[in-house]
Amino acid sequence: MTGEQIIRLEHLTKIFGNNHRVTAVDDVSFDVRKGEIFGLLGPNGAGKSTLIRILTTLIAPTSGTAYVDQYEVTREPESVRAIIGVCPQNSTLDLELTAYDNLDFYGQLLNVEETVLERRIWELLKMTDLTDRANSRVSTFSGGMRRKLEIVRAFLHRPLILFLDEPTIGLDPDSRFEVWQQITRLNTEKTTIILTTHYMDEAERLCNRIAFMDKGKLIALDTPENHKRALPAGDLIDIGFDHIDGRVLPAIRESGLVTSIEEKEKTLRISAKNGNSVLPAIISIFEKFSVPMTSISIHSPSIEDVFIYLTGRKLDSGEGEQPQPAGGGKAS
Amino acid sequence: MTMIRGAVAIFRRDMKKFISTPYVIIFTLFMPIMYLIIFGNAMGGTITNIHIGVVQAEPYTIETPLFTSTVEALRNFRSAPDKPTIFVVTVYPTEALAKQALADGQISGAAIFPSTLPGDNTIRVYEDSSDYMVPTLMEGGITAAVAATGTQNPVEINKLYGKIEYFQFFGVGVIVMAIFMTTMMGGAFALIRDRENGIIEGYLVTPVKRSSIILGIIGSGTVRAFLAGFIIVIVDVLITGIVIRTIDQFLLVLLVLVISCIGVTALVVSVASRFNTQQEYASTVAFFNLILFMTSGAFYPTIGMPDWLRWITVINPEYYTVHALRSILLRGQGLNVIGYDLLALFIFSTAAIILGITTYKRTIE
Repeated sequence: MTGEQIIRLEHLTKIFGNNHRVTAVDDVSFDVRKGEIFGLLGPNGAGKSTLIRILTTLIAPTSGTAYVDQYEVTREPESVRAIIGVCPQNSTLDLELTAYDNLDFYGQLLNVEETVLERRIWELLKMTDLTDRANSRVSTFSGGMRRKLEIVRAFLHRPLILFLDEPTIGLDPDSRFEVWQQITRLNTEKTTIILTTHYMDEAERLCNRIAFMDKGKLIALDTPENHKRALPAGDLIDIGFDHIDGRVLPAIRESGLVTSIEEKEKTLRISAKNGNSVLPAIISIFEKFSVPMTSISIHSPSIEDVFIYLTGRKLDSGEGEQPQPAGGGKAS
Repeated sequence: MTMIRGAVAIFRRDMKKFISTPYVIIFTLFMPIMYLIIFGNAMGGTITNIHIGVVQAEPYTIETPLFTSTVEALRNFRSAPDKPTIFVVTVYPTEALAKQALADGQISGAAIFPSTLPGDNTIRVYEDSSDYMVPTLMEGGITAAVAATGTQNPVEINKLYGKIEYFQFFGVGVIVMAIFMTTMMGGAFALIRDRENGIIEGYLVTPVKRSSIILGIIGSGTVRAFLAGFIIVIVDVLITGIVIRTIDQFLLVLLVLVISCIGVTALVVSVASRFNTQQEYASTVAFFNLILFMTSGAFYPTIGMPDWLRWITVINPEYYTVHALRSILLRGQGLNVIGYDLLALFIFSTAAIILGITTYKRTIE
């Protein structure tokens, strides 16, 4: 393993059940680099959590190998456990204990030095704004408070690698934003972070690299920018108008700047690579024929568009969705 | 109509769950059957194999006809002609030896026959009065056997430990019951709940060792079980009139309690370490509870049980606990008598702890 890699998966496969065999992870291989925020993105049931559970020694793979740092997960699970921090998808907080006691319990299990543990716990409670609730039972906490507590618990011992399985699931926008800030802050402390999510904006905002998973398979792995660049359609430009001159469309088409153009309900929808640089040229064509524009908007493709392009399905919806053309994503 | 539909939906859901847990079905059916077998055999049958020592008193000249014929009658004593004999008769050379055997618990009673035969010489019977039913059976047997010889010698009964009520006899058994009940709901239950609620997934990814998990859980369970057992000891003293005579006895009781609690907790935890759901665990442990408690002698003398059931008592930690506690609390005996029980409990506890650690699943599959 080179110094740059911190996790390596080689043909990892996990099959559950004997009678009804379900292949949760199907021949997945990739590397995670030291210090990066690595996103595992995919719909529910794509195998993200199973992959995390294998890497965190909770379940053994059916075949293939996985290394965390230099340790193979099935042969040296104890060494792996010593360097990782995990925030599982489902809550594992002890609801009958207080916030402080929950952190204290894990501090003991994680071998955090007694002399620093108490200070560390208060530091984390402060980070989550839970200082005044330190001695309340977790069962009295809201979902967001519990989630934040669980996330800070995962890095109580300053692990080398942090696994966050759907960290912001079910959180309100404010709490999500706080969690994102925490993750970014941690990453500046050289912690490698592996994050699973099915929120595209979250992956796009946080991750250095994103791996798309679908039906247990790894279907693409790259930086968010490269993922988007790989889309054939490029950016999407919408130009509104009241009346259009019949010569505008052919002129734009002939300019060779755009990949496609269509007119629809007093709007021209143009697809082009590098939309920002072709837009002035398009505007000048409008001006040349003296066609007044009522609105201009430009959309960059989102990570969701990439997913749709790769799988032909939307990320949040189930099977049976018709493939949609690229574009139409959220403005960014 | 919607009411019926709702009821049917609930009914079908429950039946689906019921059928999909064959393990629980088997154990729930098994329970009443085991009740039948164990209760029927342990308590319905006649008590046999009561060990009696007989002595021809000093000065010994010759075995009197009273002695020979009574011993013969005792050996052949049955509750009905087609039933097995009730007593196992051992002849001791001296009264002192017989009394020693009685004090050590090797025999349940000793009958001392007079050396000469005048009709008014009494036959002295010393009996272990701490047992239940056995003294009564013995008294009846000896009186009948003497009467059968046609002599008029009176039989004098000496209760070694005074009159002991069934209340006291059973009171000691309840201590063990309290320990087992607390253990069931104690540490092991927490283990299963952690697994069922998924809390376990949180700490299994920490470097904590499975031996730490098991020892921690056995530790907390032991403390709870000990407190329960100790409270019942106090209740026994206050209500049933059991007397703790010396500080040594008190400390011995505590020692027996501690080591029993460790053993029983470790057993339950080792069972629990394999299970994923409370239902599976509860049905299995209820089954263990039944077998161990019934064969412990807590409310019926173990010598009343058939041989195959008595074999269970040999590996039953509760049997040793009951025996040790009765020795101390009812008979005032010390380490010389209960040493064997302590050793058995110690071996059992160690084995159960090792079993618990090795069977604990460190994964969540």
